[in-house]
Amino acid sequence: MSALRASRRWIRADLRARRGQALLTVLAVAGIVTALITSATLLEDGTNPWRGLFTQTDGAHVWISAQDTADAGKLAGLPGVTGVAGPYRSAPVTLVQDGKKSPVALRALPATPPKVAHPVVREGRWLDSADPDGVVVERSLARATGLRLGSPFTVTALNGARHELAVAGIAETAEQGFYPEWTPGLAWVLPETLDRVEPAAGRSESVIGLRLADPESARLVAQGAVTLLAEKIQRVSTWREVRASMELDNRLLGLLLALFGVVGLVAAALAVANAVGGRVLMQSRDFATLKSLGLTRGQITGMLVVEHGALGLLGVALGLAGGQLVTMLVLDGAGLPLSLGPTAAIAAGTAATVLVAVAVPAWRGGRTPPIPAAPAAPPRGHLSKLARLALLVRLPPALVLGARDAFTRRGPALLTTFGVAIPMTMITIGLGCWATLDGFLDQPERVGQAAALTVRPGKLPAAEAERLIKADPGVAAYYPGSEVDALEPEQTRTVLARAIGTSAQPYPFVAVEGRGYADRGEAVAGQGLLDLLDVKIGDRVRVTVGGTPLILRIVGRVVEPDQDGEVLSFGLDSLAAKDAVPPEFYALVLKPGADPDETRARLLAASGQDLEVTRVENPAERLAVIRVVIVALIAVLALIGLANLLTASALGLRDHALDLAVLKAMGLTPRQVTATLVTGTGLLVLLGVLAGTLAGASVSSGLIDLQGHTSGVGAGIGRTPPAATLAVTMLVAVGAALLVALIPAHRAARSRVPLATR
Amino acid sequence: MSGPEPVVRTVNLVKIYQTGGVPVTAVDGVDLRVDPGEFVAIMGPSGSGKSTLVHMLGGLDTRTSGEIWLDGKRVDTLSESAWAVLRRDKVGFVFQFFNLVANMTVADNVELPALLSGATPRQARERREYLLGALGLAERADASPAQLAGGEQQRVALARALANKPSLLLADEPTGNLDSRNTRDVLRLLGEVHRDGQTIIMVTHDARVASLADRVVSLLDGQIVDDGAIPRPVRRPRGGAGDVVELRS
Ligand SMILES: Nc1ncnc2c1ncn2[C@@H]1O[C@H](COP(=O)(O)OP(=O)(O)O)[C@@H](O)[C@H]1O
Ligand SMILES: [Mg+2]
Repeated sequence: MSALRASRRWIRADLRARRGQALLTVLAVAGIVTALITSATLLEDGTNPWRGLFTQTDGAHVWISAQDTADAGKLAGLPGVTGVAGPYRSAPVTLVQDGKKSPVALRALPATPPKVAHPVVREGRWLDSADPDGVVVERSLARATGLRLGSPFTVTALNGARHELAVAGIAETAEQGFYPEWTPGLAWVLPETLDRVEPAAGRSESVIGLRLADPESARLVAQGAVTLLAEKIQRVSTWREVRASMELDNRLLGLLLALFGVVGLVAAALAVANAVGGRVLMQSRDFATLKSLGLTRGQITGMLVVEHGALGLLGVALGLAGGQLVTMLVLDGAGLPLSLGPTAAIAAGTAATVLVAVAVPAWRGGRTPPIPAAPAAPPRGHLSKLARLALLVRLPPALVLGARDAFTRRGPALLTTFGVAIPMTMITIGLGCWATLDGFLDQPERVGQAAALTVRPGKLPAAEAERLIKADPGVAAYYPGSEVDALEPEQTRTVLARAIGTSAQPYPFVAVEGRGYADRGEAVAGQGLLDLLDVKIGDRVRVTVGGTPLILRIVGRVVEPDQDGEVLSFGLDSLAAKDAVPPEFYALVLKPGADPDETRARLLAASGQDLEVTRVENPAERLAVIRVVIVALIAVLALIGLANLLTASALGLRDHALDLAVLKAMGLTPRQVTATLVTGTGLLVLLGVLAGTLAGASVSSGLIDLQGHTSGVGAGIGRTPPAATLAVTMLVAVGAALLVALIPAHRAARSRVPLATR
Repeated sequence: MSGPEPVVRTVNLVKIYQTGGVPVTAVDGVDLRVDPGEFVAIMGPSGSGKSTLVHMLGGLDTRTSGEIWLDGKRVDTLSESAWAVLRRDKVGFVFQFFNLVANMTVADNVELPALLSGATPRQARERREYLLGALGLAERADASPAQLAGGEQQRVALARALANKPSLLLADEPTGNLDSRNTRDVLRLLGEVHRDGQTIIMVTHDARVASLADRVVSLLDGQIVDDGAIPRPVRRPRGGAGDVVELRS
């Protein structure tokens, strides 16, 4: 009790005496937590937008299209149904834009948005009975077709009649996937508008959405609906299909994020440990005094843990709030806050890291011997080797003295070097993540995405599809392919077997080990497959495709972001003809500079919309926003490095006070004294920056690869940041560090230090 | 031994430092007895073990062998924490380099030991006001230690050492870092608290400073070579500032 009062008094005094530093600690931790929350939210939202949309729209779990509305009441009566959307009338129309045609389902909704599955308006407004020509367009359809607010929305109904409508709003919904992956596109109009566009009831269908108490019962309910409506039913989709179609394979980015999280945690630990460690070193005399007054070891440790831990936890709390705020701003009110699991993990992870980072120096502080030492003695004047070298090459005295100083005091020297080196390592790793993202975009072939477009012949015969593809000026090469399930040798699991290209004209896989396939019976595999079957390059594997056994020799490993890397790729001619002809799809490699979207539009137009052309989505594209987070994290790390430097210089200067007086007595001008101090710090900073960059560069691609290996993607995606980037980063780091070192040095050089304190 | 219960008693106290392979015997079989209200000066050349002895008496350092008794209780076997708790009630320290807690105000520095010994904040404040007033520092209560001159800092340190009404005041060269005027002030204060009945053990290497005490114990190489009451009255030399020779230890 009495000790509590005394400790509280001390903590209050200490916080008051170093408000700036305390604030810096709080901000550093808060910055890191904000960055982590933001990136996790963006990743979650970017890779799985369904969750946010479903919650925001109070979505329905099962959607049913039927011929008429008569049985809607029965559907609502199915067990487990808690809410119903519709039934809405929906008619197929074609959206016409200067020659381009897109299939659209026009759906009639009331002017007052429904309770269940109400689309969320992102731009413009919802339907209004004062504007019967207004259409609200689903966002991915609007994007794909270039529609904006006010754009004309010209549709032709099945009877061929044209109707001029206009875009009044753009909205999102969780009832179907994104256009063009999910067709037809979706647009909402008022019931009376739909009656005008498609008067014939027989050419429209009735759509109803069911919201369930238990999402897991969706399949059961869907089955119930099918039984109930029998042949009147046209289509049923559940939330799982919608989610799957919206989901992006986020394995690679998940990897980067995980790495990123580790970087963030280390940075948080470093920020706190450095602040507390430096503080404890500075205050060792005070702790000795406090012990002589009767504070125990445990009480001093406790006092430090409470003081600094509270600052760290305050930072965590602020960071959680900051993360919510930033994501709200970035996502523009759309999307959900991070789900509870990851939020709790980030909060608990950083809190635990902070507490450990506090506990270690606090424990050391508690172990300060209770005999108050005399003020620190000036170092014995050994000239370090470096200083002697400086003397040899006739450097000015300030530089020589600075070089001597740099290495005579171990504690501050280590604190400075490591305090700079570790954030520098982390920054370099961050730049490595950036370079890896660049790598995805610049050289998609390295992650198995050499082809930018995939064409499915659809209704067209294969020969016709090939002719159209060959005729397109943007296509450099095309590879026929089929994806089949292959039973692995133990016949218990299937892996994806991707037959693509032929052994005469193999698909341009970039093998990170071994080589690409070049003959019948040769295959390349992802790391996941090698691990699953416990085979290595050169081994033969026996799989079963469509009942036919297939023996393949693995000749190379490729980076395989799909299916946990459990994919086997080989030439079509390795497959039995019955599985290979006709090909399911064509993978199109474009000429350099050819725009995938234009090529896609051209192909669609040439085939009269009969070909099914999809863009291969590069995972780095949808998450370009993660770069913002990398920049933010680098900024936080830079701040941490500079804060570390300030702590270290403060410590160095405290030990220096007497030296400074001696130096001045020797006749050094204040400017020379400043130069001495800055040289001392500068050398250490240079050392730290060099060491940190080297460590980061050598570790970053290795780390990313290690993560890649364990996740089945396989090593070979990690990139080291380019040399020029590293050089610029180092220059900026050293420059900023010197500027920061200049402040306390300048102040110290000007202050008059009494010689008589001893 | 007869008479009142001694405040401090040591039996064959030994301290051997074991650093760098060569053992250094800093205190070598000291038997010391200090009665309540006594003012003992410990003298001796630099390195004779004076600091080591008072540090052990206050529990800041552990003994190698021998016994220490404080207020009739054996304390040399206590753990570091138990010593800390004991110091709250029984021991006050004054050091050569003042050792005020840099972040805290003068008032907080003085109130801290009182709070530790269980006083309420109000009692602590009253005690602090009384002590600072008596030491002529009342108006410096809100200053930070760095704003004070050396003599003022040492007076604050003395106030802090007395704040918990210790049964034993230990002072290690309290004037070693002061000029003669401040030395006189601090010694006058020590004399006053001694007259009020405070038991004091003060380390010094200055004979004139030691002459204020009732009794002088002389140490040499860790052993007591002389222990005797000071013949009174002491002739104090005339003269002003500067006549106290500054020695360093
Ligand atoms: N922490 C220590 N480690 C090793 N030797 C020490 C330590 N402290 C003091 N000594 C040695 O013990 C002896 C007594 O020191 P000290 O008690 O400080 O003497 P005094 O205070 O009389 O000058 C000296 O020889 C000193 O070098
Ligand atoms: Mg001494």
